[in-house]
Amino acid sequence: MLRIVVIRLIQAVPVLLLIAVMAFILMHLIPGDPAVVIAGADAGPAAVERIRHELGLDRPLIEQLASWLYHLGTGDFGRSLVLNQTVISAVAERLPVTLSLAALSLVITLPIGVFLGILAAYFRGSWVDAAVMTLALVGVSVPAFWIGILSVILFSVSLGWFPSAGYAPLLADGPGPWLASLIQPAVILSLFQIGFLARMTRSGMLDVLDQDFIRTARAKGVSEWRTVGRHAFRNTLVGVVTVAGIILSLLIGGSVVIEQVFALPGIGRLVVQAIMARDYPLIQGTMLLFGFAFVVINICVDLIYLWVDPRVRYD
Amino acid sequence: MKNLRHLFHRATLRRAALVGTALAALSLTAVAPFSADAEPRRGGSLTYAYIAGPGTLDPHVASSMVELEVIHHLFETLVTMDDKYNTRPYLASSAEASPDAKTFTFKLRKGVKFHNGKEMTSADVLASFERYKKVSPNASVLADVESFEAPDPYTFVVKLKNPNAVFIDVLKSPVYPFAILPADQKDKPARELDIVGTGPFTLGEWVKDSHLIIKRFDGYVPDDSAKGPDGLGGKKTVYVDQVRYNFVPEANARVAALQSGGADIANDIPAALAKRFEGRTDLTPLRIFPYCMQVYIVNTQQGPTRNPLVRQAILATVDAPEIIGAMNVVAQPSHSLVYPGSPYYQGDAMKPYYSQKNPQKAKELLKQAGYNGEKIVLQTNSNYQNMKDAILVLSELMKEAGMNVSVDVVDWTTNASNMQRGTGTWNVSTTSFCSNPLLGPQQWRVMFYTFPQVKDDAVLDAAYAQFYTSLDLGKRVAAWADIEKRVIEQAYMIKIADIGALRAFNNKKIEGMTPYYLVRFWDVSAK
Repeated sequence: MLRIVVIRLIQAVPVLLLIAVMAFILMHLIPGDPAVVIAGADAGPAAVERIRHELGLDRPLIEQLASWLYHLGTGDFGRSLVLNQTVISAVAERLPVTLSLAALSLVITLPIGVFLGILAAYFRGSWVDAAVMTLALVGVSVPAFWIGILSVILFSVSLGWFPSAGYAPLLADGPGPWLASLIQPAVILSLFQIGFLARMTRSGMLDVLDQDFIRTARAKGVSEWRTVGRHAFRNTLVGVVTVAGIILSLLIGGSVVIEQVFALPGIGRLVVQAIMARDYPLIQGTMLLFGFAFVVINICVDLIYLWVDPRVRYD
Repeated sequence: MKNLRHLFHRATLRRAALVGTALAALSLTAVAPFSADAEPRRGGSLTYAYIAGPGTLDPHVASSMVELEVIHHLFETLVTMDDKYNTRPYLASSAEASPDAKTFTFKLRKGVKFHNGKEMTSADVLASFERYKKVSPNASVLADVESFEAPDPYTFVVKLKNPNAVFIDVLKSPVYPFAILPADQKDKPARELDIVGTGPFTLGEWVKDSHLIIKRFDGYVPDDSAKGPDGLGGKKTVYVDQVRYNFVPEANARVAALQSGGADIANDIPAALAKRFEGRTDLTPLRIFPYCMQVYIVNTQQGPTRNPLVRQAILATVDAPEIIGAMNVVAQPSHSLVYPGSPYYQGDAMKPYYSQKNPQKAKELLKQAGYNGEKIVLQTNSNYQNMKDAILVLSELMKEAGMNVSVDVVDWTTNASNMQRGTGTWNVSTTSFCSNPLLGPQQWRVMFYTFPQVKDDAVLDAAYAQFYTSLDLGKRVAAWADIEKRVIEQAYMIKIADIGALRAFNNKKIEGMTPYYLVRFWDVSAK
């Protein structure tokens, strides 16, 4: 297993290099000047040019790229142009928020999404199936910001159950305030993911429920619970794990809209702000870190395949 | 102008905004300062739902509103703006200009303490100005300085190479404030300053993108020569223990925080959301006027708008009420580039150029210009709806006058960069200016040249030279008349409207909150 991990990590190096180069090129292709953002609108052209020079933005692009890659090679992800901190520390400060939200959302999504998917598949064509799929469609389709605003008006303003915005750190404020600050955004975020997971689970279950071995199990008198839960679902797990991996990747990338609506200081907000400010080192650094996170998640998913389906081999 | 550091900023951010004027009324709603016989309660804390977190608290490089609102609680300047936005001494007890307007002497208040407990002296002032000259994007205003001198601990002297009749006014600018720092900060690079000032608050906790706390500075030495607070200066008294700025970029969430008790005050409230306060007697809305000015910027260096007649044709098409109606912001028509309370206000002199609604005149001007249907690109952004709406309405008005118009929507950073650096292929765009109309001609200068890309305009150059060298206010006013006329007549900028701000606070929790272009937490108490 260790060999697989090492091989996958080595294989990831060219992928990450490609991500690095693409992130650099794409960001520099976008018009807009970080020096203008830093200088402010009341600054004259000379001040803007001076800042461009100080930041090295007046150097040829290839030279800037080479310099950035060289520093990456030494483990230096660079320094944000506007935050007065390193890329690593900027990401590290916001990671607990994003990870908390991702974890809570995943904890809500997985059991509900899987359960609804199985339910819809088992009762295919019935009103249960229609109801679940309608809910899934609504979850996938309704804009998160709209649900978010309605939720705040109902649960924060009218009922006063949860805070309307902000994040309470787990270690500093304790589990109660932490959960209260995250429950609304996590549930709203889960609506989309539940819809996605339920549809994928249903689809996988429908394929399996028609298989001969399911018919055989029933013919042998195996209980429905055991047939569906153990024989059928076990065979859809590879698909479920894949989808869960995708969901986790998306969640770690940050939930821009939800973080914005609920004023959560997470990675998504950081990246959006960095893009707006053309904070090149921060955007490039975070893209690379995301790339690495995706690689790690994919490796984990591959390893889980081995566990859920013994037929899988990486020889 | 707006910026995105808070959207990012700057977010975002809305770009620097400084307001106001003496006589133009701040339109207030049921706002009461402290009653004379009631002693405000000392203690307690306030929570402020704030649009974005500051990018930096280094005053010498700060220009966005989100930064300045915090900075003016932490740092102070030699001179500052009073309630009517005029210049008043502050850390300096007096500021005097020599008859030739080349030497300026500032006598410092004695006993003023920094947050680190040390007394402020002229050595600190000198070091601060030297740092400013090195790091500030606004350093060009000190380019003419021959020397800074500190002849004794309480006297600071600036000598210029050439006369500058408005040098003291320049120093009151709340944008890129000329804040006084401890001398040991002199060599600190931009944005790497220790946050130690002389202001009535000190910096407490600052968690980026989350919140910032300012705490009462118990060692604060107020300006006892004043009767009470006056603009950004005067005698300040801090009653609250701390103020927490929660960074809430989404307007709905700021309003919800105020409604649910999660915040005691909220800023940047869209006009449409103010309806939610109806029936809530505990929530007091504040309309701040004037606050900013929105103008069209016309690029003088490329395409058909190189021709003044084409620019004037665009000017002739403008229908301000129509545009204001589409923008859905707190706004009111105004033809002037300064506010009525300013000594530079020209009355109705500029009115004939404003909101002409005259497509026929535009057609005639286009004919004279030899305009032959060349494309005119109107560039705007998707971040600020009022800017986008203003451009969309203008495009229809220009089409009506026979112009071939194309609308280009980009993001704000691209839009702002293009205007400020002259890049891109745009001919007309729009933005808001806030501190510039408030502070007057000297603050407008860079904008007039930079944004429309004005080059080699002898009339404008001469008028500004006259302005800076005229020691007599009357002559400066006359010079400004020439400047304003030139800018508007040449359609470098086309005035749309004065833009206001909308804030609200919980009157059951806060006492003493008064409207000003910046929210101020001195002389405010928690109930």
